Amino acid sequence: MTNPQTRSTSDGNPQTRSASDAALERYSRQIRFPGIGEDGQRHLLKARVTLCGCGALGTVLANALVRAGVGHLRLIDRDFIEVSNLQRQVLFDERDVAENLPKAEAAARKLAAINSSVHVEPIVADIDRTNIVELCQDADVILDGTDNFEIRYLINDTAVKLGKPWVFGGCIGSYGQTMTVLPGETPCLRCVFEAAPAPGEAGTCETAGVLGPMVNIIASLQATEAFKILTGHRDKINRELLYFDIWDNVQRRIRIAPLLGKVDCPCCKHRRFEWLDGAQGSQTTSLCGRNAVQVSHRTPAKLNFEEMASHLEKMGEVSYNRFLLKFNVESYEFTVFPDGRAIIKGTADVDKARTLYAKYVGH
Amino acid sequence: MSITIHIPTPMRQHADGQASVQVVGTNVQTALASLGEKYPALTARIFENGQVRRFVNIYLNNEDIRYLDSLASAVKDGDELAIIPAVAGG
Repeated sequence: MTNPQTRSTSDGNPQTRSASDAALERYSRQIRFPGIGEDGQRHLLKARVTLCGCGALGTVLANALVRAGVGHLRLIDRDFIEVSNLQRQVLFDERDVAENLPKAEAAARKLAAINSSVHVEPIVADIDRTNIVELCQDADVILDGTDNFEIRYLINDTAVKLGKPWVFGGCIGSYGQTMTVLPGETPCLRCVFEAAPAPGEAGTCETAGVLGPMVNIIASLQATEAFKILTGHRDKINRELLYFDIWDNVQRRIRIAPLLGKVDCPCCKHRRFEWLDGAQGSQTTSLCGRNAVQVSHRTPAKLNFEEMASHLEKMGEVSYNRFLLKFNVESYEFTVFPDGRAIIKGTADVDKARTLYAKYVGH
Repeated sequence: MSITIHIPTPMRQHADGQASVQVVGTNVQTALASLGEKYPALTARIFENGQVRRFVNIYLNNEDIRYLDSLASAVKDGDELAIIPAVAGG
């Protein structure tokens, strides 16, 4: 990447100037947009972004940021590419599926071809409370490209603790929502949503499906928020909870500002970082010799098996009684208990088990 | 008084698939009770131990009832209530 400092010097060196002009030429259309301008572009070129998750939202976000010339993009994802991702995960193609590539790695390859001047740092890892601070502490903004609330509350804890802005986005089916969190200035995610949907209740993109355009809309709004934050246009930042259903033609702008200080938020008011400290969230244990992993929650849930079964029966064989629910999908067997604990048979890999849990049980 | 309650997609299976339902009521509590009378299965999706479930938010004309008068917030003819749960996927 060209050093923006070099470009901004007016030492009269024509070579420096022409090199800088050439470097900026690819961004000329967004520089011409008054909100960005040359000054804003220089800020983008110097910016560092941590993107958590590189699936549906994450690939749209990464694509927008790299094309716009964000200086450094750290991209973290624990998952591998499957053919069912291609309908909406815009950076991947059939060759990536055939090569069985991790999402972060495949995305980094595509992004390097799109804009080689951006430093993309792919990290194939599960984001958890032990690594998230390190992954986020040098970022100017943290972006949510994840698919579950467990990581979102962890991002929220981290962002509030470090005082960094972050942009939440979520979508399922034809609906989605997004909000921007400026710690201390706007309500945080826990002010707006006090708790995550109970596992199995809210549906996931696997159980309820998702429309590609909905993902693009939410992620594009998130990316624009990142541009505003990185170019210093705080007055332009969205301070509402935006909600869309593009199939039912619903758009809502919900005023959330009065929640700041009004709700007794453990995170941003009392600075209790329950996900980061491990008081909330899930635990995974590989069950030795059984090719199975147990996923359990520190705060027990109360599952509605009837409702879960109605979501899951579209994808595999489900049966349940008062004590447990059994579900077979792909080559895995889930045994889910009413408190949200699950034993996933067919893998000893805890990252894979967490991915499967997020996909089919939710949270 | 006629109030429109917008039902979020994941709860519509408990409301005969409808996206919105007309109810009567003088405040949010009675409007939601009226909804629960028409579609009893919805009550358990919205409430737990008499309180709105923590991942479900109720918006009165796009204002969060938690900074209004919560369930006691008064409603008038033509008002709109939206039930919006946290959206998990992505």
